Amino acid sequence: MVFGRFFNWFLGLFGVSRQIRLGLYGATNAGKTTLANKISLDWTGEKVGKTSVVPHETRFVQKKEKVEIKTDGRKVLINLLDMPGIATKINYKSFLRYGMSKNKAKKRAKEATDGVIEAIKWLSNVDTVLAVMDSTKDPLTQVNITLLGNLESRKIPVIIVANKIDKKRSKPKRIKEAFPQYPVVEISALKGTNINDLYHAIAKHSRRAK
Amino acid sequence: MKKRVRKLKMDFVSSTTLDEKTEKKRIKFILDKVKDGSILVTDAVLNPKEEMSLIKETMRKVDDGFPGIEICSLKKQTRGFEFLVENLSDRRDKVRDFFGKLTGRKSSKKGLRTGITLIGPAKVIKSIKKNPNSFSVLAEA
Repeated sequence: MVFGRFFNWFLGLFGVSRQIRLGLYGATNAGKTTLANKISLDWTGEKVGKTSVVPHETRFVQKKEKVEIKTDGRKVLINLLDMPGIATKINYKSFLRYGMSKNKAKKRAKEATDGVIEAIKWLSNVDTVLAVMDSTKDPLTQVNITLLGNLESRKIPVIIVANKIDKKRSKPKRIKEAFPQYPVVEISALKGTNINDLYHAIAKHSRRAK
Repeated sequence: MKKRVRKLKMDFVSSTTLDEKTEKKRIKFILDKVKDGSILVTDAVLNPKEEMSLIKETMRKVDDGFPGIEICSLKKQTRGFEFLVENLSDRRDKVRDFFGKLTGRKSSKKGLRTGITLIGPAKVIKSIKKNPNSFSVLAEA
């Protein structure tokens, strides 16, 4: 670990930065793709994926490689990995209310279950994680607790992103109180509020996995 | 007119029953019960990796009649000697994994943590409200 940090520091002296696989994890509809799009648009001018109010819009891992974030005089080169939302249940009937046909809803549910499995498998292939949480909702869900416990046991650095602070019902303080041991950045990925604070946090906390 | 009675099945399983099983068998045991419609309550907490495996296996079993699970656990806050024992248990698992890889005989039997866990079918459990030291469950048969 010490050697790894020294190596990164040494490369940094020559303006070379190693790529960090930054995974965006969280429950469905927390705003992961909106955030991935914001980061990617800011530094590459291109979007990562499509967003939707219908849950499980992201059903496959979406990647954006070589995104260079420059902040505080530092450069961080990341591979952005937008993960499907993690869930313990997926009911095809919940998609019917969005006007989908039964067959289309069933297909979406099947793809969504595969997406959750893929996201979990990717946990062993990420260096740093942005745990995206919807600040209008109760953060003490089993999905959030399991995800953070898992990352902790794998010694993967985590930054909690308290998203959707532009909404009236937003209570980011609840997230800070629920998980006091993690750095929490309050943002609105949609409006771009406090996005620079997130870039500072990424530069400060992200590192390659051991 | 006779009112139809809806029944809710709950299984209380001791941590010893789960502890005797390997990780794979433990997850299968839990999912078989839950898929059968039972709400399972146990005096143990799965470790985070096992909980993720449970979610993964649940997703593999999702179908039209089984949309998934609801799970909630409360881990006992360990201090002093208990904390040391739990940490040693985690390390023991790592040592087992290491020697398992070396010998090719991978043992997946891992220590559970003290606490309480409730796992039930998502069709039955309508909501779980969790606080740091308690949780309440709303279920409907």
